[in-house]
Formats: sequence, C-alpha cells, structure tokens
Amino acid sequence: MATASAPARQATGVRGHRKPNRSGYFFVAGYVVLLIAFGIGPTLYAFWLSISNSRGQLVGLGNFTRTFTDYRFAAAFTHIMVYVVIWLVTLMVLVVSLALMLHGRMHRTSAALRFLFYLPGALAGVASVVLWLILLDPTNSPVGFILRAFGWDSLATVILPSHLPVIFTIIAFWTGAGGWIIVVYGALNSIPPELVEAARVDGASIFQIARMIQIPLLRKWIAYMLILAFATGSQLFVEPQLVSTASFGMIPDGWSPNQLSYLYAFQAGDFNGAAALAVDLLFIGLASATVVVFRGGLFERE
Amino acid sequence: MRTKMVGAIAVVGAALALSACGSADPAPAPSAKADQFAPAAQDEASEITVWADATRVPVVKAYQKAHPEAKIKLVTYSGNANGATDLQTKVQLFDRTGNGWPDVAFSATLSDTAWAAFGDKPYAAPVDKVIDKSVLDGFAPGALDPCKVGAGTYCVRNDLAQVVLWYNKKLLDKFGYTLPTTWEEYQALGEKVAKEHPGYLVGTAGDPWAPEIYLWASQCPASTVTEAKNVTVDLKNANCSRMVGMLDKLIANKAMSKAGVFDAGFIKNQASKVLLMPGPSWFGQVLFNSTFKIPKGEIAAGAPLKFASDTATYTGNVGGGVWYISSHSKNLKTAGDLVSWVTTADEAQANAVTYPAYTKAAALWLTKQRDSGYFAADISPAFTQAAEQVWPGWSATQYSQEAIYASTVVPALNKDQTIASTIDAWQTAITNKATSLGYKVN
Amino acid sequence: MVALNTRPSDTFPSDTSQSGSHLGRRTPRRRWSTGAIAGRVTWFVVTGVFLLFFALPVVWMLLAVTKTDSQIIRGHPFAIGTWHDFTQAWGNLLNFQDGAILLWMKNSAVYAFGSLAITLATAIPAGYGLALTEFVGRKLLLTTTLVVMIMPAAALVLPLYLEVNAVHLTGTIWSVILPLSFYPFGVYLTYIYYSSTIPPDLLAAARLDGCSEWQVFTKIALPLARPIIALVSFFSFVGNWNNFFLPFVMLPDSQQYPAQVGLSNLLAASAVFNTSAGTENQILRPELALAALLTILPVLVVFLFSQRALLSGMLAGGTKG
Repeated sequence: MATASAPARQATGVRGHRKPNRSGYFFVAGYVVLLIAFGIGPTLYAFWLSISNSRGQLVGLGNFTRTFTDYRFAAAFTHIMVYVVIWLVTLMVLVVSLALMLHGRMHRTSAALRFLFYLPGALAGVASVVLWLILLDPTNSPVGFILRAFGWDSLATVILPSHLPVIFTIIAFWTGAGGWIIVVYGALNSIPPELVEAARVDGASIFQIARMIQIPLLRKWIAYMLILAFATGSQLFVEPQLVSTASFGMIPDGWSPNQLSYLYAFQAGDFNGAAALAVDLLFIGLASATVVVFRGGLFERE
Repeated sequence: MRTKMVGAIAVVGAALALSACGSADPAPAPSAKADQFAPAAQDEASEITVWADATRVPVVKAYQKAHPEAKIKLVTYSGNANGATDLQTKVQLFDRTGNGWPDVAFSATLSDTAWAAFGDKPYAAPVDKVIDKSVLDGFAPGALDPCKVGAGTYCVRNDLAQVVLWYNKKLLDKFGYTLPTTWEEYQALGEKVAKEHPGYLVGTAGDPWAPEIYLWASQCPASTVTEAKNVTVDLKNANCSRMVGMLDKLIANKAMSKAGVFDAGFIKNQASKVLLMPGPSWFGQVLFNSTFKIPKGEIAAGAPLKFASDTATYTGNVGGGVWYISSHSKNLKTAGDLVSWVTTADEAQANAVTYPAYTKAAALWLTKQRDSGYFAADISPAFTQAAEQVWPGWSATQYSQEAIYASTVVPALNKDQTIASTIDAWQTAITNKATSLGYKVN
Repeated sequence: MVALNTRPSDTFPSDTSQSGSHLGRRTPRRRWSTGAIAGRVTWFVVTGVFLLFFALPVVWMLLAVTKTDSQIIRGHPFAIGTWHDFTQAWGNLLNFQDGAILLWMKNSAVYAFGSLAITLATAIPAGYGLALTEFVGRKLLLTTTLVVMIMPAAALVLPLYLEVNAVHLTGTIWSVILPLSFYPFGVYLTYIYYSSTIPPDLLAAARLDGCSEWQVFTKIALPLARPIIALVSFFSFVGNWNNFFLPFVMLPDSQQYPAQVGLSNLLAASAVFNTSAGTENQILRPELALAALLTILPVLVVFLFSQRALLSGMLAGGTKG
C-alpha cells in the first residue's frame, strides 16, 4: 500500500513485469460479451445499412453522396460546428476551473456546492422541458431581466436562429457540467497532496500549481472528457428537441445532423440514409478522438 | 501505423465507391390500392391492442364497459400530439420485424395518413372495407377528406377543428363595433381598433397554425396534393397574397399580435385584449375558457369570413384527431366496431372535449355546450356552418405545414420582417421538405 | 444560502491537502494579504454566480409546484404559493391514469438497478483488466470501445431493435436492462482510474507474494475501487434512469413504461402542450413541474450516497501514502 499514491511516473521498468497471460481475458470477458452484442453488432449492422439500400443491395457510397446533397446537410453540419466549438471551449475551461476552485477548501461548502451544481444533471431530458418553456420566455422567466437586458422581449426573439448555438450550450452546460465537475474533482483527489503542498511551500501561486501540477496529472481525464464532450456535442439532439417542444416548433426539425438522421429514419423511413449520416458523425468523432488519444496519451500506461 | 490506417481507409472507400450494384435512392413508396386490401387470417375472438392518448382513454374504457365480450388491451401513448411521431416511429420498426402493430390507433395528427396509407403494405386498413358505409356517411361533409387517398378511406375522423370567428362580445359591444362578415370588413375593423383602442387585438400570426387559419380560408394553394405524391405549392398565387397583404398590414399597425396564443407572455399580458380572433372550434373551451380564463358570458363565435369577391365562403381547419385500423389486424370486426363506436356513439362523443366529426353526435354536443352557459351567444349556427365550409383544396401532407411556418416565418416576423418578404424562403422551405419526403412539387 | 456560510478558519488560498496535517502552515500574514483577499472575493463571486446559474432554475421549479398554473404565468417568478395548491397539484398528478406516475417510477427503478448490477459486474473487472493486465488485443478493445461510444445512438436503434426481436425479448424487461447494462463509459472511467492510481509495481509485488490473479483483483484492486465503483454506479444509474429512447422503442405496453417515457406522455397529455387535451385535463405547469421533481428524487438520493463513497474512498486512496 505504501506506494499506492506515489506519482505514477516514478514507477519505471514496469513493462517487463507484465507478460501476456490469460487472466486479462477473464476480467474483460463479461464486458466483451455485452460489447459484441450491444455495441459492435449494432454498429456493424449500421455500417452495412449505410452502404446498402432498402432492398439489401450494396450501393457503395451512394447513401453518402445522396445525403450530402440534401438541402439540410450543409446547414446542419455548419450549425453543429459552431455549436461544438462554443461548447467545448466553455466546458473545458469552466469545468476544470470550477473543479480546481472547489477542490481542497471548505469541505462542507464545497460538497454542498458540488451537489447544487450537479442538481440540474438529474433534471435531464423530458423533465426539463417545462422548465425551459418558462425560463426562455422573458415575460415570466425567473431570469427575464437578463433576457430583456439583451433586448429580447419575447420567446421568439430569444430563440432566433443566430442565438441557438449559445442557448444550446447554456442548456447543455447547465445539465451536463455538474457531472463532469464531479469527475474532475474526483480525479483531483487522486493527486498526492504532498506534491501540491511542496509546490506551495516553494512559493508557487495557485495558478502555477494548477498549470504545472494538477492539470498535467489530469491529462487522461481531460482527454477522456474532451473525446466524450466532442462526441456528445456533435451528436446534439436533446436540446434542440427540447427547445422545439417548448416553443411549439420554432426550431427547424433538422437543426443538428443527429436530428436529421432521426428524420431520415423515422419520418422518411430511410434507415440507410440515416445510417450514412450517423457514420459521417462517427468519422468526425473518430478523427478528433484519434488526435486526443495520441496527444493525451489515453491508451498509454505510465 | 497511422499512414497505414489512412491508406486502408482510402482503399476501402475506393472499393465502396466502385462496388455499387444497386441504386441508393430510397424505394419510392407506392400507394396501395384499396381494392387490393387483403386482410390477415381473422379470429373474431382474439384480443385487440388499442393505442390511445390520455384524453381518449376514458372513451375506450367506456367501450369496453359497454362491450364486455371484446378483448381489449389498452396502451396509452402520446397520441402524436404537438409534433410527436411516436406512432410512425414504432410502425417503421414493426414493419421491419413483421409484428407488433396496434390493431387500432388514435392520432391527434391528421397528416399521419400521408404515411400510414402508403408503402408496400400500408399500416392503415381502408376503413370503408371494414366499417359500414351507412356509418361513414353520417360524418360531416368533407370530414373524411383528410383520410382519403385515391379511392380508399384510411381513417375515421374523431373531431373537427373548423375555423370560426371568435370574438369577445362584451368588448365588441362596449366599443360599439359590429361583427364583420367579410375579410374586408375585418381588416377595416382591425385598422379602426388600432387607432381607437391601441393594444386590443383582432388576431395572432405567431401560432404555428396561422397558415391553416388564414391562408387555408383564403384558398391559397400552399398544400394541394393532386394525386398520390404530387403536391402543388404556390404561395405567390393571388389567393395567398391577398391574405398575406392583409396580415402584414394588421401586424404593422399592431392590431394583430406576432405572438402565439399559448405563449406565456401572451396569456399574461394580451389575452384579455383579444377582441376578435379567427380560430378553430376548440379555441372556445381550451383557449378562452381554460387558458385565458375569460369569464363566462363574454366569448362567442361568428360564422367564417369570406372575401367580398368570392362567391362562396371557405374556412380552414386546425387539427382534429383520427382513428386508424391496422391492415395487419387479426380481428377487424372488433377493431371496426370499436372505432365506429368511439367516433359516433352519443355516450362517447356528446361530452367529448372537441367538436365531433359525426353529425348526429355534433348536434348533441352543441346542446351540451349551450347548457354549459359559458358562451355569450349560441355557437351552434357558426359551428355547423363552418363544419361544412372547410376548403377541400388544402391537403394533409407527411410534413407539417405548421412546423415550416413556425421555423421559417415566425422568426422572420420577430426580426420585424413582413410575411410577404419571406414568401420566397417559405416556398423554398416547403418545396425542399416535400421533395425530401419523396413528393413531386409543382 | 447554506453553502456560503463559511467557517472563519476557511481561508483563501487554503491548503489543497485533505489530511488536515498542514493546518499549522497557514500564517496570519498570508491570511490578510491583499492578494488573498482579492482571491477570496473572486472565489466567492465566481462560485456565487455559478451557484445562481445552476440552482436558481431549480429553486423556481420547487416554488412552481406550490402555485396554480395561473400564478406561474401571471405572478412573480419567485413568489411562494400555498400548501393547498401543492396538495392540489399532487392530487391531480396522482389522478393521472390512477397513479401511473408511481408505476413509472417503480419500473424505472427495476430497469435502472437491474442494469446497474450487470454494469458493475462487467465494467469494473474489465476496466481493471484493461489497465493492469497485459493481453493480446488490449488496445484493440480500448479502440473498439471508444468507436462504439462515439457512434450516434439514432443509428443503433434499428439494429438493436431487430436484434432484440430476433431473440424474442421485445416487450420483456430484458430488452431494456441488457442493452443498458452495456456501459463503455464506465469501463473507461475504471480503466483511467486504475491506470492512474494503482502502480503496477504494487500488483507485481502481490504476485511475487504468491497471490493468484483473482486474488490480486479481489484483495488489492477491489478494496481500492470504492470511489470508482461509486462514480460508475452513479453515472450508470443516472444514465439508465434518464434513458428515454431505448425503453420507448422496446416496450410495447404502457404498463411497462419507465419514468422518462411516462413523463413524455404526461407532457403530451398536458393542456400546456396538447391543444386537443381539453378542459377536464388537470395536468398543467405545476403538475408537470411536480412530476419532474418527483422523478429526479431517486437520482438525488443516489447522488448523495455515492458522493460519500466517492470522497471517502478517494481520500483513503490518497492519504495512505
């Protein structure tokens, strides 16, 4: 146990100790069964759908070119790019800063704050429609004064198309940030206090400690958060649906690519086109994930 | 290693691009011929599954009570209200697996027929092959039009939502105005109200269903399905521009609100200032009574307006639910019996929330409304007249006109643009949407 | 607010250590320097702003259930209603289809806990295996997990449905529990946790002492896993509880609906969203807000429990050094 919290990077010469053995298979076996049944299987089937037609014939990239020329394609992907940029920057900066701020001081207060920050996360999905229905309407919103300060005096002016990426970011941040704050906070706890304390004694400011010690040690967690945040961001679905319901349809139903994919599948009955759009999103997600995996060393073991 | 991966992806991509052996176009769904309807093997004792929304659940339970021998499994679902597509989503999946379809389904969305009656084996059975003609003949003229595809009728109408002219009698009397009978008088009154009583309203243009209230009544060919999947969209037609011009004027002088009637802001600040409001029959109880909380004895309904130059009066329609019977049902007899009972029986319809599509039930429904004493005058003449004046040139399509108006025109209105200036964008939006769902647009 | 009631000894910048053994290092000079005061003010302002951002809407919702629909629309957003209106809303909600909301919550609990059990039994060993054992295909497994995680769910609905139908599970609770119990997110959390907290040396030492692989896992890895079990349980539970689409697609019977699907029906049945719902319908904004609050209660309870385990566990791991 003595070395449990020693800085991981000090553990050198480890690789030699581990030889491939069968125990690894045993540990992952249960998960692999589920992975094949509910992950790989359906994904492969979706791939097959994307390159075939409704009569089960192989059509190559036909579905991709077809969906690419859809009049909503460019708009949806532009929307999502703008949104993802705003969303990722907001999430990364604020979640890491808030977790650092909450960490290690005023335990009771910090615990209470984390709980309160998390609260909206429980209010996900359908449960929050009624909330946004009122919140976004300046006439009786609890935050109406803020909306009116921007010169928005009705629901329709609040959700004008140009405001949407920011509004969706706020909704997504409101529901999702608390959970990530907890993850990062938990990760901060696994950093040995001696390291931080030593730096502090050396006269490092809290910003220097964060930048030089805490953030580098959180690298994997941040990489992981980045990948998932990118994936969930590019697959935005709930927030536009939510605002659309709350505003009686003032958001176009194909605002985001994922919504478009849903429209293909369930409005046009075109599962092949839907799968093609999903594969597009998958590749975009994978491209970013690849960068993050290699730069963030997610697969590496120190 | 990464270059290898990129290379592999390129090879796979190239192989895919070359290996097409079928067309990527989604199979265009042919509409089934009603006379080719081939029911599944029947078993009159089998259980039927009924999908209904929460509002319709009591009616189905009442049927069960009146017919204890029928075996019914009742499932509550959203009823496709407010743009939901639950029924369609599930039926798409059932079509894939070949089982699971509900024998009877209620939908609050008229446009569901546009997919339910299409496909290799459409979900909806032609009800004219299942339900007696004498029953179907008892519906208000035109009530079943949205259910008709080709020669077949694929659903049974639950309620009508014909547009009438709602007005606040107390306010109208107080201001000394008379109720307009033509759109010209309506516009003149609107301009007068703007001058003499600023803040009071003669209508709203921010509701998703505004085109169904105004453009439909104006006989604007925005959504005319000619055959199968051919649709005419012509928002530049003179019948459209006369109404659009009027709306723009009234919006400009603030006699018409840009808000929607269910916006919390509207309910709070403007609901009590509604002088006139063309709107569907359900506005009476649902909007004025329960949402706006306008006191008893103030609201009344006038007959639909007409254009002075037109020979006949036409009006629009906003919603109205329908019942479907599954073409896969193993017990069409019970299914048909249930659907006719819930749509026509006095017990089922007299106390319904909305105006019954079945003429005999509607008469009883109107007496009940009179007895309720909410309205300032008898609404029966206006309602019965309007029920027969719905313009038949506006068809239900698989896409929602309401959603397109709400996402294209309403945002523009809120940027202080006129409806007229959005006509091109609006026309394009409808055309694009229709084309994407396999319609041919003229 | 309770959260802002701080004890005088809580100073800024305070120590980041958890053990409390460094308390003595705080010096009065440090406590009162301008920088420290500015820092402290910043801390309060920033956390205060975010506190308002996260909590204010929830407070509004708590108040909403004590008002009538009309008061919500016409009154001040933060006015407090009456007990009578709350009981009224409660009664109306319970009246909806004879207390359907309670049935939905019960169903949700079955699905959420059922899949949580399977998730824990598979994800924790898998994360451990990926982090601390070596086997052929480890990276492949990590990559595949990531790919599957990124795949948009909309495209997986049809394949999953066909699959579940093919094995005749449609309409059973397993059609929801099994797909939900596949939780790659949890596997990754566990993997990252083990690979960044437990040095392989420790395990190597245990192996040298004659522990079998299974013993290494149960004697060393599992006791240290408490915080990660809490974290995975929590996220998995919340994910299961809030999942809408899977049960919506899989379950054909309204008696089987979980809370999220039920809520969406409640919403569709409410006169607020459904113009055909009619006047006898009693489900308006206060009832909707109450239903929403009711369905998040279990999530909050689980949160509080796991928060405790999470912290105590992490602390144990951190201070034993």
